[in-house]
Amino acid sequence: MAEEIRLMKGNEAIGEAAVRAGCRAYFGYPITPQNELTAYMAKHMLAKGRIFIQAESEVAAINMVYGASSTGARAMTSSSSPGVSLKQEGISYLCGADLPAVIVNVARSGPGLGGISPSQGDYFQATRGGGHGDYYTIVLAPKGVQDASDLTYEAFSISEKWRVPVLVLADGLIGQMMEGVVLPEPIDPATLPRWQWAVGHSVEMGRPYNHVSSINLVPDELEAANRKRFARYGQIKKELLRYEEIEVEDADVVFVAYGTSARVSHGALEMARAKGMKVGLFRPVTLWPFPYARLLELAEKGKRFLCVEMSMGQMVEDVRLAVNGKAPVYFYGRCGGNIPSQEEVFAEVARLMGK
Amino acid sequence: MAIKGSVEIDRERCKGCQLCIRACPTKVLGADTEPNSWGYFPAKAIAADKCIACGNCFAVCPDVAITVYKL
Repeated sequence: MAEEIRLMKGNEAIGEAAVRAGCRAYFGYPITPQNELTAYMAKHMLAKGRIFIQAESEVAAINMVYGASSTGARAMTSSSSPGVSLKQEGISYLCGADLPAVIVNVARSGPGLGGISPSQGDYFQATRGGGHGDYYTIVLAPKGVQDASDLTYEAFSISEKWRVPVLVLADGLIGQMMEGVVLPEPIDPATLPRWQWAVGHSVEMGRPYNHVSSINLVPDELEAANRKRFARYGQIKKELLRYEEIEVEDADVVFVAYGTSARVSHGALEMARAKGMKVGLFRPVTLWPFPYARLLELAEKGKRFLCVEMSMGQMVEDVRLAVNGKAPVYFYGRCGGNIPSQEEVFAEVARLMGK
Repeated sequence: MAIKGSVEIDRERCKGCQLCIRACPTKVLGADTEPNSWGYFPAKAIAADKCIACGNCFAVCPDVAITVYKL
């Protein structure tokens, strides 16, 4: 098939990628700045005879995802920060029941209702599980519209492979930005496999009926289930870890940034390189699992780190954990919905390097 | 005589990215202090008389929210 390039808003590209990934059921509830995603799904899921429901709340939407996913269907929900907080109970239940799901957070500024401008203040929530109990979700952080499309498309198969929900952590800027995007090959949901763990089809598949639940009142059994899940987390850390490095090899100072901040930092990097300053960029693509080992390797090579975030400093804690005192870690952040400019970030790195 | 222009902004289409504000050579545009129904602060012609109908704002607008008229 000829390559198909479209000019799309991030929110719409995420929606189209999900449709093409064979998403069978989408449940949403409106919230700015991700509204175009829900609107896109309303139009295109129904047109394809798939399930779209505008739920009565975010809590209802995530529990509908739980139900749809229990049947083995590719299911998805999306929201923005305050709405994703509401979904945490359901995400914990999904993890407890070992169900796959794709959850998109087009993050906005907080805390509370906050504002509708972009922010990266949901890093802690995203990477530490977010709800109650011992669990993690896989977290993918796109840096632009193309990336948002690619990662959303892939999120479905990653989630099914590991039976762990995947959170796509974008922000209001990526959701609202328009860029050219090459769309992935459409998958027909009818061609997707039926899973042994799902409910239904037990007679056809020749197995006893499944009961999908997150409850287990026997401490030893629950501990064993958690240990089994954490063994899987160990595998995920080995196999799924992803990051992008730009001009890191000879760098003295390395920006560590994800998503929108990584785009801005890349601009600052180019400004610095034009002035002969040895600056690099390290961008985690998976925020969980986090690339601790690679950052330690870079720290041992004598590099310094400047963590750039649209928050008061969240990922910087993981960077400090990674380098374990072996390299200086600095932080530059804006919050409240403000996006740092590349000039601002360049000025900060120039100050650090005494230029 | 210098060309005069006027700029019209569809407040409901605008998401307040402010690209047009940066693109305007004569500083006609600024951010509105009143949000639209989405909650975004749209662009506004705060110095409308300075418009030279160059069309830069219209050209950079990703959401087709701007119309420019040559007077």
